[in-house]
Amino acid sequence: MPESEAELRRRLEEAESTLRAIREGEVDALVVRGAEQDEVFALGGQDSYRAFMEAMEIGAAALDGQGKLIYANAALCMLFGRSAKDLQKDGFFGALGESAGFTVRQLLQDAAQSRSSTQIALPCVGGYRHVEVGVAPLALGFGQGHALTFTDVTERIEAAAAHESDRIGRAIMASSNEAVLVCNQEGRITHANTGVRNFFNGSAVGRLFDEAFTLGFALSSGLMAGGDLIGVALAGSAVRGVEATLTTVGRTRDVLLSAAPLRQSGDTIFGCIVTIADVTERRATEKRQALLMDELTHRVKNTLTLVMAIAHRTIAASKDMGEFRTAFGRRLEALAATHSLLASDVWNGLTLEELIAVELAPFVTVGSERVKLTGVDVRVVPDAAVALGLIFHELVTNAVKYGALSGENGRIAISAAQQDDRIEIVWREHGGPPVMQPEKMGFGQTLISRGLGQHGEQATKVEFHPEGLVCRMYIAATQTAAA
Amino acid sequence: MNEDQGTAGVGKTMKLTLYVAGQTPKSVAAIRNLERIVAEHLEGLYEVEVIDLREHPQLAREHNIVAIPTLVRSLPVPVQKIIGDLSDEEKVLVHLQVDN
Repeated sequence: MPESEAELRRRLEEAESTLRAIREGEVDALVVRGAEQDEVFALGGQDSYRAFMEAMEIGAAALDGQGKLIYANAALCMLFGRSAKDLQKDGFFGALGESAGFTVRQLLQDAAQSRSSTQIALPCVGGYRHVEVGVAPLALGFGQGHALTFTDVTERIEAAAAHESDRIGRAIMASSNEAVLVCNQEGRITHANTGVRNFFNGSAVGRLFDEAFTLGFALSSGLMAGGDLIGVALAGSAVRGVEATLTTVGRTRDVLLSAAPLRQSGDTIFGCIVTIADVTERRATEKRQALLMDELTHRVKNTLTLVMAIAHRTIAASKDMGEFRTAFGRRLEALAATHSLLASDVWNGLTLEELIAVELAPFVTVGSERVKLTGVDVRVVPDAAVALGLIFHELVTNAVKYGALSGENGRIAISAAQQDDRIEIVWREHGGPPVMQPEKMGFGQTLISRGLGQHGEQATKVEFHPEGLVCRMYIAATQTAAA
Repeated sequence: MNEDQGTAGVGKTMKLTLYVAGQTPKSVAAIRNLERIVAEHLEGLYEVEVIDLREHPQLAREHNIVAIPTLVRSLPVPVQKIIGDLSDEEKVLVHLQVDN
């Protein structure tokens, strides 16, 4: 059969030429007959561009004119976390996602003339990555397509962002009046501004926070040591305004502490920032205010008790309502005058001179010939001042009614002198009408005799000499202060 | 698949099929070389089909293709095959029996 022999010869010739072509490297792919379907195998070599593409660190892909994925290298597959087959099956733009896909389509349009590139956020294994996408026109065997490169610049961007943050952070720290320091994940101090020097002598950088600062916390804070504060911040919680005491060499201060985690992009916490504010003075002021409030409450109570006593005794001694009204009103005025004086001097006490002057003022001028003051420039504590104020009121009232101030010629000498650990204050009248011992002791006298109460070192003495009344009052030296 | 067609005249049209495998260097080269040859020597007398066997491996059986790239002249008969990237223009023209 000549035809069949010719056919055999032709096939033999064809087989030989195929073998020769393979041997001589004229082909770079072979079709291998499989059980189900034929498969194409590329004959890779050192010079194969595919091997080169596969070895590249940057992701590379080729798309045909319709945007269909023809090829994706290993680096790109790794970036997506999917095999080239998956990418081909699901569609390249499906893998890119809506946002990145839109950007890349724009790039493909722009790249019709020349290369173009932009940055996109690419959905990858373990989250989004910043990727620089470059697109260039590519002539394919079957038309025009595009060559795409994907360069992961996440680390570069993060490094730049970290550098910028670091710069801003340092500027903030430097400008802060408070002590600001940064600790790493170990709780070791990595940065400290100049304010930290107020709490730590020398450089705190490099030390563990816990060791650098000896802190004492109130039980209610739930913290035991400085390390706990750092631990809370490193665990992701911000802590503000924790009160503590900070002990440095020979000194303990009240401080307010705040700590907050420092996060990198994402949720990774790489350290924490701690601020320390010295509130020792503020605390001292608060304590002083609390003390003053207690003192005020105490005095108001005392005053009310005093008012009650004055009311009862004035009623008992009054003949009628009119007399009560006058006497009670004047006594309250005396009390109020003393209080006003005390308040004007911020409750620091008054001098005897001031007390005497305020009581005498309505009747006679202090400094005039009728009033002689000696050694009365003595400051007395507030409680004693209130008591003395009332006594002086009664003495003045008495003098105006019956004594030295009832006429034009009477005089009063008031002197104060220290006797051992007490002060003797003497009120001496003369030049007034002759004095007689009263038949009964009114409240005025009771107040004079007992008014100093616990403040009196010794009972107050009232002597009714015919030439004038003499009253001796005693207060402990501890009730006075240098004027 | 990609088809190019010249001004086909019945009886004198040369039907060429180039089998390639994606973009292997020799596939790309073969496509480029064939484009040049048909443009220069076969004006208006050809019908070219490029078949990517990576995408359509089942089409290899029609012409019993083993090596890639391979150019098949299926018309006029007898069928001629040229294996390689078609860089030897003389050889291609001889096989295609084109009278230069």
